[in-house]
Amino acid sequence: MTLFLEPRTVAEAVACFRDHPEARCMSGGATLVAMMNAGLADPPAVVSLRRIAELVGIAPAADGWTKIGGMTPHRVTAAETRLAGGQAIVRLAAGRIANPPVRNMGTIGGSISFSDPAADYPAALVAADAEIEVVGSGGGRRIAAQDFFVDWYTTALEPGEIVVAVHLPPAPRAAAAYEKLVKTEGDMGIATVAAVVEMDRGACSDLRVAVGACGPHPVRLRESESDLIGGRLDADAVARLASRLAEALDPVDDVRASSDYRRKVVPRMVARAIATARARAEGEQ
Amino acid sequence: MSPYKNQVGQSIPKVDVREKVTGRAAYIADLSRPGMLHGAVLQSPYAHARIKGYDTSKALAVPGVRCVLTGADFTEHFMGAFIKDEGPIAIGKVRYVGEPVAVVAADDERTARRAARLIEVEYEELPAVLTPEEALAPGAPLVHEDLASYVKVFDAKFEGNAFSCTDLSEGDVDKAFAECDVVVEGTYETQAQYHLSLEPCGALAEVDANGRVHLWSANQSVFRVQANVCESLGLPMSKLHSMTPKVGAGFGNKMEAHIQPLVVALALKVQRPVKMILSREEDFEMVRARHPFKIRIRTGARKDGTLLAREVETLLDGGAYADDSPGVLGYSLLMARGPYTIPNTRCFGRVVYTNKMRFGAFRGFGNGQVAFAGEQQIDEIAHRLGIDPLEMRLRNAMRIEEPWFGGQQVNSNGLAECLEKVREKSGWGRRARPSRPGVKVGYGVAACAHISGLLATSAIVRMLEDGSFVLSTGATDIGQGSDTVLTQICADALKVTVDNVVCATPDTDGSPYNWGTTASRVTYTTGRAVAGAAEDVGRQIKEAAAKMLNCPVGDVELRDGGFIGVKGSNTTLPYAAVAGFTHWASGGPIVGSKSLIYDAPTIDPRRAVAIGLPFTRIGVFSFNALVVEVEIDEVTGKATVARAWSAVDVGKAINPRLVEGQIEGGIVQGLGFALTEEMVWDGGRLANPTLMDYKAPGAVDVPYEINSIIVEHPEPDGPFGAKGVGEISLVSVPAAVANAIFDAAGVRLHKLPMTPERVLTAMLGAD
Ligand SMILES: Cc1cc2nc3c(=O)[nH]c(=O)nc-3n(C[C@H](O)[C@H](O)[C@H](O)COP(=O)(O)OP(=O)(O)OC[C@H]3O[C@@H](n4cnc5c(N)ncnc54)[C@H](O)[C@@H]3O)c2cc1C
Repeated sequence: MTLFLEPRTVAEAVACFRDHPEARCMSGGATLVAMMNAGLADPPAVVSLRRIAELVGIAPAADGWTKIGGMTPHRVTAAETRLAGGQAIVRLAAGRIANPPVRNMGTIGGSISFSDPAADYPAALVAADAEIEVVGSGGGRRIAAQDFFVDWYTTALEPGEIVVAVHLPPAPRAAAAYEKLVKTEGDMGIATVAAVVEMDRGACSDLRVAVGACGPHPVRLRESESDLIGGRLDADAVARLASRLAEALDPVDDVRASSDYRRKVVPRMVARAIATARARAEGEQ
Repeated sequence: MSPYKNQVGQSIPKVDVREKVTGRAAYIADLSRPGMLHGAVLQSPYAHARIKGYDTSKALAVPGVRCVLTGADFTEHFMGAFIKDEGPIAIGKVRYVGEPVAVVAADDERTARRAARLIEVEYEELPAVLTPEEALAPGAPLVHEDLASYVKVFDAKFEGNAFSCTDLSEGDVDKAFAECDVVVEGTYETQAQYHLSLEPCGALAEVDANGRVHLWSANQSVFRVQANVCESLGLPMSKLHSMTPKVGAGFGNKMEAHIQPLVVALALKVQRPVKMILSREEDFEMVRARHPFKIRIRTGARKDGTLLAREVETLLDGGAYADDSPGVLGYSLLMARGPYTIPNTRCFGRVVYTNKMRFGAFRGFGNGQVAFAGEQQIDEIAHRLGIDPLEMRLRNAMRIEEPWFGGQQVNSNGLAECLEKVREKSGWGRRARPSRPGVKVGYGVAACAHISGLLATSAIVRMLEDGSFVLSTGATDIGQGSDTVLTQICADALKVTVDNVVCATPDTDGSPYNWGTTASRVTYTTGRAVAGAAEDVGRQIKEAAAKMLNCPVGDVELRDGGFIGVKGSNTTLPYAAVAGFTHWASGGPIVGSKSLIYDAPTIDPRRAVAIGLPFTRIGVFSFNALVVEVEIDEVTGKATVARAWSAVDVGKAINPRLVEGQIEGGIVQGLGFALTEEMVWDGGRLANPTLMDYKAPGAVDVPYEINSIIVEHPEPDGPFGAKGVGEISLVSVPAAVANAIFDAAGVRLHKLPMTPERVLTAMLGAD
């Protein structure tokens, strides 16, 4: 028998884990319930976050940051036009998740806590320079997205810690492009590329590119990116970054594609994502 | 009252549409009986192993478990459509990962499943053969040591693990190749495809107080279910009553047995109703799938484009049991020439046992695989000779009076019209959409023929007391709408509207024999029986009316709307009056029937040599031409079909909307076969038995335009001229897409599915 707990506040939720250290947190349940049905998870207690009102919704802050509550469903994030500029990368990624039923059910907190490397948010959040707000019995902290996704299905969360929100820094003059290669629409990605580009009179003033679904966690190469800052994003420079990214991947062979193909296709997707984001940044749409 | 209209040729809504739309239609999973238990299966973890013993004590100790059966509880009785090589459960050894080894009946499904996992089986692992090449290697372990002694329903040629070998040829191939100006040669490979009925397989059996078994199951033929259960359990057919609930689609997967014998065995043992519904994973792992083919093919033509010769060799993975494999092999060879005049053709093929799940019938029945190879070669030759590929096909299209490969007479042939129609409607040659940055656009064409026919069928039409009718055929409507079409045929033949005819649900106690809803055959074959039975009823109505009116039978006729009229006069009698007369006064209730078997020979021995062909009388020919517009993402290699134009010669569309439904459905399933669907094995284990990992196209993936074009060249003996449409539109899809990919990107793909990975690799290699 599984105990089902429905705390009303974050503090109550944290307390649940003190009483039931083996409990599993449930946000949308899209993944957790499917795992329980398949016999892959059999927790003694489930702590549902559904009744915690403060966890839902998207709120811009005065300093330009945007907060996405952990319980915000993908559908809401995908439709949030205030996620603009560089922050739009998260909206674009949310819109490519699965299909309408899953987008209604699944949440950003649940998705990133599960940390499936083939999911859409990880690369997008890394490219957005997002910070993940978590709360545990020892209080709250913020973790940079790059440090949050640690390994296959593994995050920087400590036992008993829960994700409460995602914070996106301002990037009003940047633009974003998201590439997701799928076998069929709504499937998990064979490879994903999240790009954020800011241009200033023909020169690149900000560039952030993360690759997903090609190894245990998203791959981003800040140093290689910085080589392109101040330049004109010419094809050679972009190709250099793209091929370095491809080299840094650790893809596997699976039923979706071979690792060889992932290495071959990623640089091509990176080039297109950068070109698209750049065109958007320069107002070409 | 609106005037009576002919019922045939109208897009009448499906007769069961309300039931389906309101969600009240009951499928196998919806059925329940008082005191019913639930079954679960234990599957083999090994591809090939000897079973040394069972320990069922832990499973039996679980509260709520009522019965456990293992191979030790069954005596050896074998079933099989062509070769009787399969029992209801693994006996003595297991032959593939996922094969049923034991079954449990318990109070609820969860308990049954848990108990099944507690059954201990001792195995001695044996070396396995996982590919046809491994299975053919000298000294390879035998999947069936007793193949030679199995009962076979045809003169099978077999050796080692090769359980059926077939030759089919016409003309002098060697001489003809020597005369060719162009010869193209290649090898092609196709993958295993899962049927993916939305409804997984399931069955419910109940034993009555007299010891008779009543069985409901997901099926394509209540009669094949009866035959398979009785053969594999050694029961007399009189003991088994096979029925059907609504069926959530069948594409060949539900024609032969799945778990019906096991569910019946459990019910007989516990003497309580037992239901078992497979999970999606189990349905993937133990029902059946489309045969993987390896095809070596050579085609030659003269400079002017005249095709002269073709040679084909196929090697099929048959999996662990023969099932429909000999039929698929033979049929693929019969179709391998394509719908063209190629006077010299030689085909040879083998199907081989391996330690994988059985492969069997699947919409297309081997035709799509050989078309993928053959139709690319037609294009290649056209390209080499600088002839437009559609024009090339028109030039070589079989002439109307010409026989099929093997010698069978073809009595209706709309191929040329199909090609002309798709040329016109698609704007072929005008390249409506050019390539744009990042996207390569290409157009491809393919053509094919497919049969409808095969075997026995019968129909009974009874007139009720009020002058309405009950039609019984034993044909399971698997969602495609055959109840509607057969009702239209019956109603039209009797000049009444469809609401005056009820189509009875198939049931082996009450329905006349029907081989099955398969081979695109119900409209054509069963339709003929229905038309014949209705005609028989019409004759009896006229006889009774003549008696009532005191006039010669020759003076009366059936009139629109359900009346008997006297020729040359306004005197009419409603059918109700005739029905009342026969029920209460004279003659007795009117019952008409018709039985038939498809009987035109496939092979004319004066023209062709056929060795090991498992069927002798196959069916009549429908024709198809397909044009697709493909877009290739240059960055990833992903090919998408944006638009499709498919023209099918169906003889006569009894219900045009249902014909279009079949054309569209076939194209979508064909696109999955062409582009995304692939069962992948990791050693002996299926690596992707879930819809998370096995990807069929969804609503967003299908072309935004599928143009279905109906062509009608009536089949002389078809009901109102109709012939089949169930499978044909799938057959051309992989080939047409491959030809469009070539047109767009200049690369030829020889392996299905044509994934982004394969397309991009080919494109980069070609650069
Ligand atoms: C058919 C299908 C297709 C899908 N396709 C995609 C896709 O294309 N792209 C994609 O990105 N995703 C896809 N997903 C995953 C989907 O987005 C899930 O909704 C998501 O991964 C999990 O979100 P959830 O809110 O339902 O989490 P839940 O199922 O509730 O939880 C998931 C896991 O995270 C833990 N957890 C949940 N919330 C928290 C929290 N606040 N703090 C700490 N731990 C927590 C749970 O204990 C559990 O282990 C798909 C899912 C399905 C079922």
